[in-house]
Amino acid sequence: MTPSAISTSALSRNFGTHQALAPLTLDVPTGEVFGLLGHNGAGKTTTVNLLTTLLEPTSGDAIIHGHSVKADAAGVRGSIGYLPENVQFYDNLTLLENLRFFARLSGLRRPDARIRDVLGFLDFTGHDNHRVGTFSKGMRQRVGIAQAVLHSPEVLFLDEPTSGLDPEGVRTLRETIVRLNHEFGMTIFMNTHLLSEVTKTCTSIGILNHGRLVHHDSLRNTLAAFPADESLEDIYFQLDSAAA
Amino acid sequence: MNDTWIVAEKELRDLRRDRLFALLIAFLGVATLVSVAVASADFRNQLDAYNVYVANLAQSGSTVTAAAPQLFPLKLLRGGIEYLEILGALFAIVLGYGTIAKEKYRGTLALFLSRPVSRFSFAGGKVLGLSIVWLGVVAALTALSLLAVVTIGHAPIQGIDVARLLIAGSFAWLYLVFWTALAVGLTALSSRLSTGLIVALVIWLAFVLVIPQIGDTMDPDNQVPGGLFATLQIQKSNELAVLAQFSAFDGIRNGLEVSSVTKHFERLTFAFLGIKDQYNQQPLSRVWAAMLPYAITLTAATAASVLFAALATTRRTLQRKQL
Ligand SMILES: Nc1ncnc2c1ncn2[C@@H]1O[C@H](COP(=O)(O)OP(=O)(O)O)[C@@H](O)[C@H]1O
Ligand SMILES: [Mg+2]
Repeated sequence: MTPSAISTSALSRNFGTHQALAPLTLDVPTGEVFGLLGHNGAGKTTTVNLLTTLLEPTSGDAIIHGHSVKADAAGVRGSIGYLPENVQFYDNLTLLENLRFFARLSGLRRPDARIRDVLGFLDFTGHDNHRVGTFSKGMRQRVGIAQAVLHSPEVLFLDEPTSGLDPEGVRTLRETIVRLNHEFGMTIFMNTHLLSEVTKTCTSIGILNHGRLVHHDSLRNTLAAFPADESLEDIYFQLDSAAA
Repeated sequence: MNDTWIVAEKELRDLRRDRLFALLIAFLGVATLVSVAVASADFRNQLDAYNVYVANLAQSGSTVTAAAPQLFPLKLLRGGIEYLEILGALFAIVLGYGTIAKEKYRGTLALFLSRPVSRFSFAGGKVLGLSIVWLGVVAALTALSLLAVVTIGHAPIQGIDVARLLIAGSFAWLYLVFWTALAVGLTALSSRLSTGLIVALVIWLAFVLVIPQIGDTMDPDNQVPGGLFATLQIQKSNELAVLAQFSAFDGIRNGLEVSSVTKHFERLTFAFLGIKDQYNQQPLSRVWAAMLPYAITLTAATAASVLFAALATTRRTLQRKQL
């Protein structure tokens, strides 16, 4: 049995009286690409923020690669990479300067060789000394992936990574996610509201509806449990309405 | 400390390429320089007029020695100090606000907080970075003003003047750091970015403009052009005796003024630069003795402001979202 990369127990979060995430118990084994699917406002970002220690849970706990988000937040931060939704980097700094900044914060003392490796892996070369302010959305998203994997994290969190990308950018990003998982065995936790995203990249799926996890299984089982002619979209709405 | 320095270094690099920053600093520089240059030119005219007068006296064979005008060159910096007091504080707020707002707005803050960094590195790095900026700005303004006084004013500058300048410069630095750190803390605390800026500006308005203005208005000597007591032909010693009759009134006025950190800064710099006449012929030790309480309060206010910035910049407050 593979140990869990992510394991939550009754993890929840309220904002005032509003329950953004109902008690969530979830295991994501090491080496998975897990896709968390849900409408806008379903609680996906809240979940990722809890797992990346950006939010404190109202109740429950989560263990990320052996570290508790409550008791050992620093340990969690040291084991994860994170790409928030719609993050913009420092426009006045060059690509290299941006990446050096985040690499150093992640504890890399001499990051340049590693930065070059990662940029090579992402096929993102020749822009080292260009300012990020001049980059297209697709290029920025590659900066985002690069900063998230510089320190070789065990678990990578991506919040709506394809939002705002053109079809070409979406395809490149998908390939990158799959390669990170295959070549480095990185566990990936990805939020999306796009069904097509999960079928192309994920190995298991969770569906969140109004803060409640209404479905969690492997991609294969999810597809097998429903008639073959049903699209994932139909499945999604079926589960969603059954839960509502 | 390491993380703190990483943040500070990034901030400095970022600001160096920031247009708004360049514009603000250039504006402050030009305003200060123009005011010092104009004062210096005037100084030179007075000096020249005196020299011509002395030469004429000598030519006419007179043996009467004309009294030299009381010219104290550091007084020429008054305009520069006043700009720092008002505009400098305003720009310090804008920079302090901007340094936090941009990270919140761009989402880089979330990234930063997901890194294994120490508790105070964010606020620490920001305040450290901006403190270095203000150190550079104050040093440049001081050097430029000194240059203007010497080259345009032809003013004789002595070692003691440089010492006075350095002391005044240190207080200017503390004063600017006070405002920057205050804006950093307020912006970190507020869920809506503009709230932090607005609160900081209201405090600025109270400390920099309103309180000193009320103090000035309440000063009986400011009620008549040229000074009330001078107009009534009352000597300085008698003036104090008259004022003693109004001690409660003057106590309130003074209390109001000293509630503003700006007034502390002004009293300190005016004393050390000799802009206030009673101090310009005094040895430094005398000035220190008189000004020590203000030096302590300004330092304490700045320390408190930096502490506030550090304590306000927690994960929880930084993550606060507009509801
Ligand atoms: N900081 C916050 N304060 C108050 N409510 C919040 C906050 N963050 C999220 N919410 C609410 O929690 C719910 C889930 O939001 P979120 O996790 O961002 O959803 P998703 O990422 O799935 O679109 C929404 O109703 C949202 O309004
Ligand atoms: Mg979201």
